[in-house]
Amino acid sequence: MDQELLMKQIVEQVMHAMNNGAAAPTAPTGKVTAANYPLAENMAEKISTPTGKPFTSLSYDKVISGEITAEDMRISPETLEMQAQVAESVNREAFAGNLRRAAELIAVPDERLLEIYNALRPYRSTKQELIDIANELDQKYGAKTAAGLVREAAEVYEQRGRLKKF
Amino acid sequence: MKSKRFEVLAARPVNQDGYVKEWPEVGLIAMNSPFDPTPSIKIENGRVVELDGKRRADFDMLDTFIADHAIRLGNAEKAMAMDSLDIARMIVDINVSRKEILDITLSITPAKLTEVVGKLTIVEIMMGMTKMRARLMPANQCHVTNVKDNPIQIAADAAEAAVRGFAEMETTVGIARYAPFNAMALFVGAQAGRPGIMTQCALEEATELMLGMRGFTTYAETISVYGTEPVFMDGDDTPYSKAFLASCYASRGLKMRFTSGTGSEVQMGYAEGKSMLYLEARCLAVTKGAGVQGTQNGSVSCVGVPAGVPGGIRAIAAENLIAMLLDLESTTSNDQTFTHSDLRRVARSVPQFFSGTDYICSGYSATPNYDNMFAGSNWDAEDYDDWNIIQRDMKIDGGLQPVKEEDVIKARNKAARALQGMFRELGLPPITDEEVEAATYANGSNDMPNRNVNEDLKAIEDMMARKVTGVDFVKALDKAGFSDIAQNIYNMLRQKVAGDYLHTASIFDENFHVYSGVNAPNDYHGPMTGYQLSDERWEQIKNIPNAIRPEDI
Amino acid sequence: MTFDEKTLRSVIEEVLKEMGGSSAPAAAPAVSQLQAGKMTLTENGDAPKGVAPDEVVIGLAPAFGVYQHETIIHQPHDKVLREIIAGIEEEGLKWRLVRVYRTSDVSFIAHDAAEYSGSGIGIGIQSKGTTVIHQKDLPPLSNLELFSQAPLIEMDTFRQIGKNAAKYAKGEAPTPVPVRNDQMARPTYQAIAALLHIKETEHVDGDKRPQAVTVSFN
Repeated sequence: MDQELLMKQIVEQVMHAMNNGAAAPTAPTGKVTAANYPLAENMAEKISTPTGKPFTSLSYDKVISGEITAEDMRISPETLEMQAQVAESVNREAFAGNLRRAAELIAVPDERLLEIYNALRPYRSTKQELIDIANELDQKYGAKTAAGLVREAAEVYEQRGRLKKF
Repeated sequence: MKSKRFEVLAARPVNQDGYVKEWPEVGLIAMNSPFDPTPSIKIENGRVVELDGKRRADFDMLDTFIADHAIRLGNAEKAMAMDSLDIARMIVDINVSRKEILDITLSITPAKLTEVVGKLTIVEIMMGMTKMRARLMPANQCHVTNVKDNPIQIAADAAEAAVRGFAEMETTVGIARYAPFNAMALFVGAQAGRPGIMTQCALEEATELMLGMRGFTTYAETISVYGTEPVFMDGDDTPYSKAFLASCYASRGLKMRFTSGTGSEVQMGYAEGKSMLYLEARCLAVTKGAGVQGTQNGSVSCVGVPAGVPGGIRAIAAENLIAMLLDLESTTSNDQTFTHSDLRRVARSVPQFFSGTDYICSGYSATPNYDNMFAGSNWDAEDYDDWNIIQRDMKIDGGLQPVKEEDVIKARNKAARALQGMFRELGLPPITDEEVEAATYANGSNDMPNRNVNEDLKAIEDMMARKVTGVDFVKALDKAGFSDIAQNIYNMLRQKVAGDYLHTASIFDENFHVYSGVNAPNDYHGPMTGYQLSDERWEQIKNIPNAIRPEDI
Repeated sequence: MTFDEKTLRSVIEEVLKEMGGSSAPAAAPAVSQLQAGKMTLTENGDAPKGVAPDEVVIGLAPAFGVYQHETIIHQPHDKVLREIIAGIEEEGLKWRLVRVYRTSDVSFIAHDAAEYSGSGIGIGIQSKGTTVIHQKDLPPLSNLELFSQAPLIEMDTFRQIGKNAAKYAKGEAPTPVPVRNDQMARPTYQAIAALLHIKETEHVDGDKRPQAVTVSFN
């Protein structure tokens, strides 16, 4: 019973987090909508890279000169949030939830992200290992929604016998 | 005495295909199985406690994920109470809008979705597709592979495919370790042919993501989901790991879709006695619940299974329609051989080709089928003119157009030379002038000289260890004197910063302007609405080079 | 035509019988006895993880040589195994057999074999003939070499697979066995492949570790 209660709590947390900030049909002013899309054309000045460079400052010549590197050519959490709002404005709230979860994961380095994904595959991790990952996502990267998903997985894997066996 | 008529019929290609009678107990049934669950939903305190006849305590992993993530609960009880026949009729009613349909179909369960489309004939399914696909205009995707994993040929075939009109391109490997070369050859070849084409490389999940992170690809598609829990495990994933993977892609600004299809569960040994279509509806619910923008479905590589049972090809069209009813980008297969019969393979593609989908094929083989490393496509390079003339016959836009031989040769040559230059600048094993020449004029890998496979594999290992990225492709191409192609690659990488193409059913035109379900939504509501061929596009489609001009006689 | 409805029916019936289903129709034709293998496979408990750097482990799918005796194109399992072993021996390496029970997926079987192999190189083989050469540090669903189209795998290919696996184990970089492709394999074989795989999957035991197996060829 306790477990079910916990499960329920987690589900509620996740649902809450996923719905957090979901736009009502009448979006308050300031929200980005389909009318602003594509953002690269209509809101270019509001986009920047995770390294803090304005989108409008990116150029081919700077790539050639080495001023812009692969690290710069990435999406930022703020941009994904704007795209999530666009998605909500056309009633795609599940997709918006994915974009918000993604925004949290930008800070996780490539190698670590691949490791976490592999740890979530069946029979790879013990329950504690998954909970540790959830805590890492939550505390180290502030990735609350993603952490919720991993906790949810830990419960379901336990119930279904999909945790590490040998 | 043997009948000569029957002798002739027995020798026909259609009789070389494998057929199986229905066997619902093991899941060898396309749709409408007597063992499919009865649709139901019960919600208590905002939580699903019963789904399609199963209590929460009996849920498997997929049920739990679908119940917790995939269904809009606000309207669910009302929508589930509607008669499935009424919903089916609304789908074909031009006076009921796409949005009104979605308000219902996003709130119903997999069993209900299966029941609804089960009420539709193949023509009604096509009417549904015309109205329900996400993007206004249809598009097409191709496969670019070869049996030798020859990168120069990949670049040249991609460039030709770009000229012919494909908006997306997919490669894969014969030898897994060749993947980085195939991905970069496809990227360069596509951008040499037409700016703005998205490219991907189908691989094991984690490897595919890694190539995307490195800027070798711009989207991903082979993120497989399955309709039963044991098959999901054999696919080495869970709905939770796949949902996490979906977010990994978006966090790197990469477009992605899931893939699934009828028959995969039977093929992989655990169908749990359910119809192929019901299991596919579960896959699509998982896709929706993971927050993914779209799907590649339509049996895909398992097509031989539904195609072997009665109504299987109808079920494939029905599963495409379910994807659209869930507001997912629909990338509709037509990409795998399933028959020896030319008549059957055309008939199989009619629903998607004639109705138009977001990507009609996923993909059309841009090489002869002997080079298609997805084990052959339903359409290949030797069918290009057939496809073009069917477009012309029916006045439809299947995403391709007739081309001039000199334009194709030019594009192939440029792509091969660009790859030659890029390999040189990146310190990779040389591409000879002889290889460039062969790729320019080749039909398939039989026309290509062999490469030193071991030397290539060693160079790939070294290149990956050096952490080469897409940005290095831009620099290398610039240095090699192909700054126009370098600019196109730069522009594709730049799109990942803005993320506009993450949205449902996106494509780019040659100016990197994005069209998706956001700014180009399908608004079909009857004759003379929705996507209409422009005069300019119709000119392009109808002007095949081999039509006689009346004034010449 | 490579198979007919009769063959299919008999395969399906066998599956159902093994599932304990009593629903097989009365009018069904008699089940044909599959050719008995000319080898004896003996299981000897949990397989140990190998330490010898000069061994290749061959992982057998749950039904291989026991419940099924030939590949999809009727290659007898004993001959298939002899060829793979001969290929390994030609390269001067040792081999060991394990049976993988936890899955019928060929990539996982090969990966398990690789994990139990002292050299880190394993071969996985399904009853229908699909074969993978794997290395323990690769993701399970990746591979060194994959022979996905079972209807195209002839005897000489099995020997080549053994040879190449041994070469990888020696730290060499062999030229991969040339990939073969036949776009008409699917229309002809996919339905029967599905049935053979269902039959294999019936013998999966998710809680059983890989078992040590010895073989004697009769």
